[in-house]
Amino acid sequence: MPFEQPFEHIDEFERELRETLKRQPAPVSLKYRVMEYRRQNRGQIQSIRPAQRQRNRMIWLERIAASLVLAGVAGSALVGRYAIERRRGEEAKQQVFTALRITNHAFQVMNEQLQQQDKDSH
Amino acid sequence: MATDWQPGFEPLPDFERLFDEHQSMVFSLALRMTGDRGLAEEIAQDVFLALDENMGKIESAQHACFWLRRVAISRSTDALRRRRARGFGQWVEIDENHGSQAEESSSPLGSRIEALLATLPEAQRAAIVLRYQEDMTPEEIAATLGAPLATVKSHLQRGLKLLRAKAESKLKEYIRAV
Repeated sequence: MPFEQPFEHIDEFERELRETLKRQPAPVSLKYRVMEYRRQNRGQIQSIRPAQRQRNRMIWLERIAASLVLAGVAGSALVGRYAIERRRGEEAKQQVFTALRITNHAFQVMNEQLQQQDKDSH
Repeated sequence: MATDWQPGFEPLPDFERLFDEHQSMVFSLALRMTGDRGLAEEIAQDVFLALDENMGKIESAQHACFWLRRVAISRSTDALRRRRARGFGQWVEIDENHGSQAEESSSPLGSRIEALLATLPEAQRAAIVLRYQEDMTPEEIAATLGAPLATVKSHLQRGLKLLRAKAESKLKEYIRAV
């Protein structure tokens, strides 16, 4: 009996291990079960596919629509902001012109007064 | 017997031929990893259904064999983890299952060795099963498990040492009893 002695020779033990671990035949039912599941899954997959494709198309359309709405909102926000800044710029320009007009008027008045004084002194 | 997968060898056979060719390999890998015939059959079924779903990605007969070994080992490991998480006492289950398996094994001694194999840590068990069931080299085992070669060599060495130590103590008692 080979196992009465301790396993000093690893080759012998390995040989026994290899012999023990030979492949075992799979149960006969395995093939039937796999083929049956496979056949059923194929049927389900084929019936699911058109609906799945339709759903995928809808999802993409929804994504595109959402992107367009977002782009529209962002664009109008940018345009609004640009309009506000432009209006503020116009207002500032008008204020500068008004200030210049006032200053110009003041200079004219002063100039007239100076001319009047010159005439009086002569 | 075992070859590491390299693209472009043989053309890919159809699913049924692959199944016929590899069913005993996948079933035996799952059986040696889990020690449970029922669970091994479930795992083998899952593995082949996964192969069917992934046939488009399989490039050759060698690739299919490589893929099946890899998936069979990883599914077996997952199944053991799930079973542990559910709180089953693994050693009790394996012991019970190997009781029923002894009837089908070629020799009572063989079934005792298989029972001892089931007590090894999973990584060591996987390496030993691939080495001695599939006659794979450590390099091929490393490629299949996606592990470094040094780790695989260490698992093989430690697993074999542990198995030998267990066999020395347990099987001597068994032989005396016989």
